[in-house]
Amino acid sequence: MIIRTANLNLFYNKFQALKNINLEIKENLITAIIGPSGCGKSTLLRVFNRMNDFIPNVRITGSVIIDGEDIYSPLCDLIYLRKKVGMVFQRPNAFPLSIFDNVAYGPRVWGITNRKVLEEIVERSLRAVGMFDEVKDILKKSALTLSLERQQRLCIARLLAVEPEILLMDEPCSALDPIATARIEDLLVDLKKNYTIIIVTHNMQQAARIADEVGFMLLGELIEFDKAKKIFTNPSDEKTFNYISGRFG
Amino acid sequence: MPTYFDEELKKLKGDVLAMATLVEESISKALEALKKRDPKIAQEIRVIDKKIDHMEIAIEERCIELIARHQPVGSDLRFLIGVIKMNNDLERMGDHAVNIADCVNFLVQQPRIKPVSNIWTMAKIVNEMLKESVESFMNNDAVKAQKICERDSIVDEMRNEIIRIMLTYMIEEPDKIGSAIQYFLVAKNLERIADLSTNICEDTIYISQARIIKHHIEEERKEK
Repeated sequence: MIIRTANLNLFYNKFQALKNINLEIKENLITAIIGPSGCGKSTLLRVFNRMNDFIPNVRITGSVIIDGEDIYSPLCDLIYLRKKVGMVFQRPNAFPLSIFDNVAYGPRVWGITNRKVLEEIVERSLRAVGMFDEVKDILKKSALTLSLERQQRLCIARLLAVEPEILLMDEPCSALDPIATARIEDLLVDLKKNYTIIIVTHNMQQAARIADEVGFMLLGELIEFDKAKKIFTNPSDEKTFNYISGRFG
Repeated sequence: MPTYFDEELKKLKGDVLAMATLVEESISKALEALKKRDPKIAQEIRVIDKKIDHMEIAIEERCIELIARHQPVGSDLRFLIGVIKMNNDLERMGDHAVNIADCVNFLVQQPRIKPVSNIWTMAKIVNEMLKESVESFMNNDAVKAQKICERDSIVDEMRNEIIRIMLTYMIEEPDKIGSAIQYFLVAKNLERIADLSTNICEDTIYISQARIIKHHIEEERKEK
């Protein structure tokens, strides 16, 4: 078990966005969090690397244990946490820098300045996302000239460069066309051999295609959490069935 | 409020019922033809079978379209998978009715043999199994479906009994071997209809409870 939450509640001022969430996320699996807009799935995702800390008046109770450490303990090293738990967003957020500098950004922050070492990291990270051969001759070009799909791959490569363990993905394909989506999905399935992936998605078919385990959230509650096969062929809760079959939400 | 997809599923269920009703009619007519040794009734069965074949294709195409367009999950998915399998089973039952009709066509040209009373008892049970299996599907009644499955072994036993009787005929009156073989084939076809009714019940249980019970797989998995 890499992540475990116990009695997790999250409040934005008086509004309770997460209600008593208890879940266990296993290593080297793709876990999809699904649910209608506003159900708290992105909030839950942001809990895992404390991105909610940036939002004013957020209050959290309960615990979130990652690799045996309570990440909400005052002793938790936030910088190290965000290195270990990286995040990819809906729209690719490549920096207005060269392709090379985008990938080398994290390692430089971590103090790596040796050009040779940086080159190795950039090559390894771009290879991991299946992109190195495509861009090896244009590494000095601005990342913003790349297609959206490549930019999203680049963002994933940028994460991998700092050697995380967990990849959080918030609708990583929502800005992409079906072919680019399929390629990113293939990449995620490939990456789970080495990383634990948690993906928030509105795309039910995407969750059905790539997730090993699925959590369904509604109004801040985790209604059901089970293997994807079970959720999509025989969900235990009627609310889950109604949502995944498009009857509401 | 029912969705468009709900309406489509409901309509499909109605189509399966219509097909099952035709299959029941076909089997009843085949048995009537056998009882009355009437090749004209046997001929009607071929006409019904053609309709059944067309219905099978229409239902299969509809299921494929609904899966492709709606990408169903949960009980919707199980229902459509169940209907695809059931559709195939019902069509096969229609073919067995035709096989029985073929036996009648052959029997009328043969010397009569003493009626085999067991075959009518067997036919009655098989007819009931078919009727009730379709009812269990229509009502999503897994409990009833499970009970129907248990009757399959009774039918198997009756088929074995008929084979024994027919073998005795063949030994004692070799000139009636042709007729005896036809009754033997009728029993075999009835037994297959019972097997296919059992399949419908297994599909009903899968649709209703997501349990696969065929080949005693649940017991096997528990043992592991």
